[in-house]
This record gives sequence, structure tokens and C-alpha cells, in this order.
Amino acid sequence: MKALLSMEGLTGGYGDADILLDVSLHVDADEIVAIVGPNGAGKSTAMKSVFGLLTIRGGKMLFDGDDITRWAPNRIVQRGICYVPQVDNIFREMSIHENLEMGGFLRKGDLSAAYERIYTLFPDLKERYRTPAGSLSGGQRQMVAMGRALMLDPKLLLLDEPTAGLSPKYMEQIFQICRDVRDTGVAILLVEQHAKQALAFADRGYVLAAGRNRHEGSGANLLADREVAEMFLGG
Amino acid sequence: MDLFELLNFYVIPGIVLGSIYALGAVGITLIFAILRYAHLAHGDLATFGAFVALACVTGVGVPPLAALPVAILVTAAVAVGIDKVFYEHLRERPKIVTVMASLGIALMLRSVVQVVWGVDTETYSRGIVRPEDYFGLRIRDRELYTVAALIFLVGGLQLFLTRSKWGKAMRAMSDNPNLALLSGIDNKKVVMLTWVIAGGLCAASGFFLGYNTEIKSMMGWHMLLPMFAAAILGGVGRVEGAVLGGLIVGIAEELSVLVIPSEYKAAMAFAILLFMLLVRPTGLLKGKVL
Repeated sequence: MKALLSMEGLTGGYGDADILLDVSLHVDADEIVAIVGPNGAGKSTAMKSVFGLLTIRGGKMLFDGDDITRWAPNRIVQRGICYVPQVDNIFREMSIHENLEMGGFLRKGDLSAAYERIYTLFPDLKERYRTPAGSLSGGQRQMVAMGRALMLDPKLLLLDEPTAGLSPKYMEQIFQICRDVRDTGVAILLVEQHAKQALAFADRGYVLAAGRNRHEGSGANLLADREVAEMFLGG
Repeated sequence: MDLFELLNFYVIPGIVLGSIYALGAVGITLIFAILRYAHLAHGDLATFGAFVALACVTGVGVPPLAALPVAILVTAAVAVGIDKVFYEHLRERPKIVTVMASLGIALMLRSVVQVVWGVDTETYSRGIVRPEDYFGLRIRDRELYTVAALIFLVGGLQLFLTRSKWGKAMRAMSDNPNLALLSGIDNKKVVMLTWVIAGGLCAASGFFLGYNTEIKSMMGWHMLLPMFAAAILGGVGRVEGAVLGGLIVGIAEELSVLVIPSEYKAAMAFAILLFMLLVRPTGLLKGKVL
């Protein structure tokens, strides 16, 4: 089967400095893929490269049959990839419903089915759809951020450290929501600081170090790998 | 001094002046929220609007209020044009560059007004208007129109910002510009819309200042400080705050005459501005910090 997203030998970074060195990875249509690795390994950068947010000097990126390597972010959004940044990922002063509405800004016509889908995934949000998003708890904000990104009905969702700063309870809830989202046919590529938990829940994982691919495989295999465990997972 | 004297000679003129400030302050606050710089040409843009209305009144012979929509449209178009020709090229530079550029635009606009219309004091209509008596409150028709225009225009703006797709896009851009771009909101359209609204309101502000007093080439420049004081007092980025701030500054200026010589009336806005920046820079309604 052909991968939904494939990154082939990507080299690039911000300005003149290369942060990613020959990174390759792929995401299939129905899986959750986690990128883990130590701080400064280029995890978030790898994700931002999908979104056209950095200067790419080598390699290419294919998405669903198109070469999107040098596309502008808004074109990539319309093509079906949505990105949830790690911080500042909601409109604080706008209500939950307005956040979703802005997420669906590019969609024409009736959005009620799209709202319904989000509110089914996140029942917590439906109850308080008029609440300003800035007054919600961390976990609920993450839900709003994911809901906003899902409004465009993407094929691939990029999540940059979705559980950063969340309590274990919310972390588990976000992971569960990721599985629910995947089961509705949206592939997920996420970057995680909590490597153990992320590998335990993802279908596959990549371990990056110093901007290069180090290991890859199913989450369970990576967790069982002694070298991976010693290097990144604290033994 | 009895209550009616206080109301008729200080509070009512204060509300009228405050409404005029508010119309300008709303534009200042919107520009601050979305473009993130202080627009120092706002006062002279208001002057320009007042003179466009004057041209309609003297040239075409329409009554002043009929000239207002024309002034709003022309000034909105000029504001968009100024942005396209000047400010747009500075978007990626530090904001202070645009602030300084807007000071240049202010001088330019004023010179255009002086070249085209001269430096004499003008009025929309000659003769003295006697106030009507409403249960002891003495109010002129033009004062009613001023306050009504504020309510109508700002009410319309609020509806637009909270109900329409593009109004919400403006709020989104003010709230979190990066995320707005990630959501596919067209930055350029939002900026243009901001200038249309700010320019139109600015023209209304200049028009009503001229309608209630006189029209002269320095009128808008003198309004700049009170308008900024109003926007900061209300909380930068808050439309309702700018209205509240405008009314407070206007009433405070008029009431100040009771305790200080009237030549120092303008210092009131400065005092309020200074006080707010020192004590509560987010303003009354918790806006952005400059």
C-alpha cells in the first residue's frame, strides 16, 4: 500500500542552519505515528517541515500523490493536512464554537455536519460551546485545538506535543481521542516528549537524534529495543 | 450651580465630545489589535474626512448629514490606499518604522488638506443653532445626531465582529495571528477590512467634530491625544472599551474646566493617558499591553 505521507531524505532547517539531516519517514492512511527523541533532536522541526514552515535543501515530501515539498502552508491546509502547534493553538478570546468556525474558515456551505462530528468526538466541548476557549483547562484547550484543526476534514493531522503539561489523566484522554480520530479515517503524526507513553499508544514510531533517523518500528518493538530504552527512555 | 446647569453646560457637551473621540478611538484600537502599531495619522485622517464632507456641502449643496456617507466612503478608500502604497511595504519591519511612517502620513494628509482647502476656519452651516428643551435638558439636534451616529456605527460594528464570518476572522487575527494563518484566513483581506472600518469611523469622527464646532486643518491633530487616551483607557483591542474610554475622556475634559483654566482642558487627556499607563496599562476592560 502506498503511504499517505512520505518524507524522503529531507534536509533543511531555519535560515542557513540545517536541523534535519536526511530524515525519512512515512505515515499510512490509518495509523498513528509518533516521533520521539531527546530534546533538540529535530522532532518538532520534522513536523514543521511537512507544513512548509522551514527551508528545505534536499529530499522531497509526497502527500497523497502530490509532491508538496515547496507548497505554501495555506495550500497544504487545503490539500488535507492540518497542524496543531504546541503552544498558542487556540483563539483565547473566542468561544469554543467560534474556534471551530475559524477552523472551518476555508470550507464553503453548511458546516453543521462538521460541527456535529467534532462535538461527537469531544462531548465536553458541546456542553460549553459558548465559553471563551481561554478560560478552559489545559486538556480541554487541547481538545479545542484539535477540533479546530479537524474542521477542515483533513486526511492527516499533525500534533506537536499534544500532552505537554497535561496531567496523566488528561494525557490518557488525549491519546484515546487520537485513537477515536484515527478510527474516523484521519491519520495522525505526532511529536511527543513523553516517549514511553507515546510509543505504547502509537501504531508506529520513529526515534530521531541530532536531526537524523535512529530507529523505527512498531511502538511495541521500539519499547522493547534495549538500545532505544537506554538512550531515550531512561533505562 | 444646580444640577441642570452642570448637565447642560458640562456633561452633555462632554458626552458629545466623548462620542467624537470614541469614533476615532475605535479605529485606533482596531488597528492596534490587528496590525499592532499606533497609527499617528488617525487625527489627520479625521480632518481629511471632515473636509471631504465640506466639499460635498459647499460644492454640491447637500445638507451636512447627507455628506457624511460620502465622507465615510472616500476616507475609507483613502485609508486602504495609504496602507497599500505605504504601510504594506513596512509590514515585515519593526513596528516602530510604521509608527514613524504614520507620523509622516499625518503631515502629508494635513498638507493636502491645507493645499486643497486652505487654512481658514470653515463651518458646514452658518448661523446659530438654538438648543431644544427636553424637560430642562438643553440639547441641540446635531448633538443628538452625534450620539446616535456613535450608537449606530459602533453597534453595527459589534454585530459585524460577533456575527459575520469576516468579522470573526478579524477577531481571530487580533487574538492569534499565527493560528489565523494556519486556519487559512486571508491576512490581506482582514487588513483591508480593518482599514475600511477604521477609515470610515475616522471620517465620522472628523465630520461630527466639524459639525459641532468648526472645520480647520489642525482639528484632527488636536484630537489625536484624547483619542489615544480613550483607546488605552478602555483597553487596547476592545471596541466597547474605546467607546467607554472616549466618553470618559470627553466628559473629564469638559468637567475639568470647573477646576482648572479652560486653556488646560487638553491636558486632561494627557493626565488620563499617563495615569492609565502607570497604574493599569491593560485599560479598564483588560486589553493588550502596548
